[in-house]
Amino acid sequence: MWHGGEDATSDWTVPGNPLLRLDFTEEASVPGQDEGVFFEELYRSHGARMKSVAYNILGSAADAEDAVQEAFLRAYRSMSSFKGTARASTWFYRILVNTCHDVGRQRRRRRGETELGPEDQLPPSAAAPAGDAPLRVTLEKAVARLRPRQRDVFLLFEVEGFLHREIAEILDIAEGTSKALLFEAKRELQSVLGEARPA
Amino acid sequence: MKYTDEEISRAARELHREWESPQLWPRIQAALAAEAARAERSRALHVRGWLSLAAAAAVLVFGVSVLLRARAPLPGVPAAEAERRLLTDKALREVERTESDYVRSIDELSRVAAPKVEEAGSPLMMGYREKLLLLDSAIAECRARIDRNRFNARLRRELLSLYQEKQHTLQQVMKEETDAL
Repeated sequence: MWHGGEDATSDWTVPGNPLLRLDFTEEASVPGQDEGVFFEELYRSHGARMKSVAYNILGSAADAEDAVQEAFLRAYRSMSSFKGTARASTWFYRILVNTCHDVGRQRRRRRGETELGPEDQLPPSAAAPAGDAPLRVTLEKAVARLRPRQRDVFLLFEVEGFLHREIAEILDIAEGTSKALLFEAKRELQSVLGEARPA
Repeated sequence: MKYTDEEISRAARELHREWESPQLWPRIQAALAAEAARAERSRALHVRGWLSLAAAAAVLVFGVSVLLRARAPLPGVPAAEAERRLLTDKALREVERTESDYVRSIDELSRVAAPKVEEAGSPLMMGYREKLLLLDSAIAECRARIDRNRFNARLRRELLSLYQEKQHTLQQVMKEETDAL
């Protein structure tokens, strides 16, 4: 039963599935906590990264937030199917990425578009990162044109800092495939960005 | 001139975006609560559905077993007769009770008329006596056949007819005696 606890701690497992134990804590698990605490702590620890992953796949802050919410619902529904072969957070990111693709397909059908990319619909609170702004904008557009799997690997590795081992678990591919996809993505981006680079 | 891997990686790190969304967690929390409530209702309905099914199945099994037991032929009794027995048992008990009362009344009448019949001197009274002997013989034969098939309605009607005829004959005997006085 969901209680939406306020006093979330980070050292427990989920009663519905003891394998679901948050992996961002070094402390021992404390059985008996409810799913609400688990999800709240998951959001507190990973929410910002989840939104960023979703934003870079969907290209819209509103769509990203919708996707994160939907991913939480899907995780709740499939909690009992968690096998414990991956870490709980990795398991959740897999759900999130799949949800983003589903949401993206729905949005494209609705808008009659073939591609979705960053549209800079971020709220004013999102500070523009410092650095090479023209390159960042061009890179965003170029990443949006990558093949989905290449784009996922590039975003998870280069933008969000996941390891190839984690990406392999999230995307359900081999670690070597993750490395190969990243290599291909970078070659593709170099080619596209090279054409756009001012002399 | 192409960008290097390092330049792309550095630019890529700037694609990580963070923004405040204070309403998102409450939204997720509400959605999860709604989902939990829905799942709870679904579970309750599921359990209730199974309980109802189990109860219905128990009633069905009980009903079928009763029916099968009732329809099952008893040892040595044909199936058709067993079915008739199930359907007419109550009616038969009623018929036998009424018949028994009726026979008792006729026997009482026979007992009253017996001296006159045995002492019959007139050809008419001798004829009544012979008729009563024939009726008693026919009644005995009919009862024997009914004992072999208690549910044979035609035999029962025939027996009733014989008793009515005996009653009528006894009444004639009594009437003749009264007339003779």
